[in-house]
Amino acid sequence: MTKILLVEDNEMNRDMLSRRLQRKGYEVAVALDGLEGVAMAIAGAYDLILMDMSLPELDGWEATRRVRQAETGGHIPIIGLTAHAMSGDREKALAAGCDDYDTKPVELNRLLGKIEALLARNA
Amino acid sequence: MTGLTTPAAVAELRHELRTPLNLIIGYGEMLLEDATDPDQRAYLEQTLGAGRDLLSIINAAVPPSREEISEEEFTGLQGCFREPQARILAATASLLAQASGNPDPQFERDVRRIRSSAERLLTVELPLRRSDTHPPSSITAQPSARTVATDPSARPACILVVDDQEDNRAVLERRLRRQGHTVECASGGYSALDLLSRARFDLVLLDVMMPDLDGLAVLERMKANAATRDIPVIMISALDDVASVVRCIERGAEDHLSKPFDPVLLRARISSCLEKKQLRDSELEYLGEVAKVIQAATAMEEGSYEGAILAPVAKRGDELGKLARVFDAMAEQIRVREARLRNQVDALRREIDGVRQASRDTVSDAAPSLSTGEVFAGRFEILGELGRGGMGMVYRALDRQLGDRVALKTLRPELVRDQTLVDRFKSEIRLARHISSKHVVRTHDIGERDGVYFLTMEYVEGITVRELLDTRGKLGVAPTLAIASQLAYSLVAAHDQGVIHRDIKPQNLLLDAAGVLKVMDFGVARLAGETNGLTEVGMIVGTPSYMAPEQMLGEECDARVDLYATGVVLFECLLGRVPFEAASPVALIAKVLREPPPTPAALDPEIPPPLSDLVLRLLAKEPGQRPANAEELSQILSRLS
Repeated sequence: MTKILLVEDNEMNRDMLSRRLQRKGYEVAVALDGLEGVAMAIAGAYDLILMDMSLPELDGWEATRRVRQAETGGHIPIIGLTAHAMSGDREKALAAGCDDYDTKPVELNRLLGKIEALLARNA
Repeated sequence: MTGLTTPAAVAELRHELRTPLNLIIGYGEMLLEDATDPDQRAYLEQTLGAGRDLLSIINAAVPPSREEISEEEFTGLQGCFREPQARILAATASLLAQASGNPDPQFERDVRRIRSSAERLLTVELPLRRSDTHPPSSITAQPSARTVATDPSARPACILVVDDQEDNRAVLERRLRRQGHTVECASGGYSALDLLSRARFDLVLLDVMMPDLDGLAVLERMKANAATRDIPVIMISALDDVASVVRCIERGAEDHLSKPFDPVLLRARISSCLEKKQLRDSELEYLGEVAKVIQAATAMEEGSYEGAILAPVAKRGDELGKLARVFDAMAEQIRVREARLRNQVDALRREIDGVRQASRDTVSDAAPSLSTGEVFAGRFEILGELGRGGMGMVYRALDRQLGDRVALKTLRPELVRDQTLVDRFKSEIRLARHISSKHVVRTHDIGERDGVYFLTMEYVEGITVRELLDTRGKLGVAPTLAIASQLAYSLVAAHDQGVIHRDIKPQNLLLDAAGVLKVMDFGVARLAGETNGLTEVGMIVGTPSYMAPEQMLGEECDARVDLYATGVVLFECLLGRVPFEAASPVALIAKVLREPPPTPAALDPEIPPPLSDLVLRLLAKEPGQRPANAEELSQILSRLS
């Protein structure tokens, strides 16, 4: 089963998205802030990471950079998520090491498409 | 346009607006996936439709390319939210009504999350300028500083937010923190009460609908507890019908806000509540300090006042502080005076004790006719001798019938040699018993046992002025005035009853341990004198030094003989000697009748002339030149004291 790490500080967002992903057949683990996200990403074997960009302690961009720095050989696909939807957010996320980028409110089918595309690329 | 924001603030605003929409749409879609009931699906479709409309409004008004937004624009944007928001609230209310029979608790929870997200949309505030991204110039910074200074809600307060919905808590917490308040959150009624018992809060924002213990129950418990009763509570509820609001206010809530609430309104209500609380707090503090002043006054009355009670109040700059300072100053004066008085009384007591010891030694030489331990007349147990007087021996005795101590005076046989004399004694005693004054020793009765006549009197633990004079020589102005005043009181009381003493002299003036003067032998003294006659006075009733000239001459006497005697007593107290001294009684009588008395102030310049003049007036040979009566003497003395 595909294992996804969802890094999200907002309890309701976390609840809602993880349940929606579980319904689509994914196994979902959650991290509550950037530091926890980095630690779990490095320690665990995840197939993909959904990284909220507005996080306490360590924001999503910095967390992504740290995950990338810690990688030795392998590459976990990371999708950045943000509600900011600012011009340049996408570029900023990609520059930090995200493989893709999506905005909130999440359009589930669009997000699932991105997830599957990245998993297929990584396979 | 006013209140332009920075690009970073616009981005934050977009985040604040889109996050609840993410939840509305996300939960809505998820619930729709499971929904099979046509009504349920219709309500969820309505919810999702309204959510998407809101998203379109936000995307159009605040596109990612937008870098600033004015307050007017933002207010207009919020106005656009109301209609779709109302649709979401109506649809989710119907879903919740349907869910009442739904066994799946998650369904109801998800619907509530959609509702709280929709409510949150209207509580989003326009983010303030962010100096970290765009440092404002000094010109633009000034209005901001003024705003903070004049905004009453900027006064930092400690606020407790109680809501079972995490999102609602988070929104309120963030907003309140931004306003400078300290915020604690509780996710339910019990945890709120727990926090309230452990920390002090200035205000509580209390959600009504909570699963464990609802807001109204929390409110009731707060109001029932003295420690939390005065903390203002603003109830926050989706129920905005009049009955619900009334219920909250009746139970003691300060205010009520309906969800979704307007952030500006919330801020204003919080500010108003805090202001009221501050007023109440300062009023309570003031009343507390007033209570301290009352406590201090009570303590002062009881003689247990310590200055420390009022120290904090005395630091106040207002009238109450002034009162406390004046009170403390007065208390200090009284303390000093009391200490001085205590020292004087102690010194006097030591002297009295010394004198008493000496008189006991003297008396022990005299042969008592009654012995200690003897029960006299089957009633009076003799406890010891008090002294030897003109009339006979005086004993301290216990009246076994009344259980009271008395002074028992045995009368020499010649004083009561026939029934006529005995009757006169009895009649004088009856008369004297009408005198009501604490300065007169009460004579109880006259009795006879085996041919021995005796008087019983009030027993006074003390010494006579004679003993005091013998010990100290002279007493000084203040003690003399104290003796004179009390002697005058006793004379006023006695003369009012038509009783003249006729033998006022230091031996008949008793001072108890508290310094209260009591005059002995009213009525009976003169009988003793008359019976013995002048020729024997030197031997029996002492010297004639205290007798008025008219008394010596056997003329008709009135109450003014007691005033003359008082003059002699005062002269002796002031100077340590009587006005007329002579080698023999006859020479003395000659002096009393003919010579003018020496002027006390001439003998001792310490004696104030008015007192000296009063003594001379009392010693006037003509009764008409003395004060008219004891009342006049008393008034003159009160002016001298």
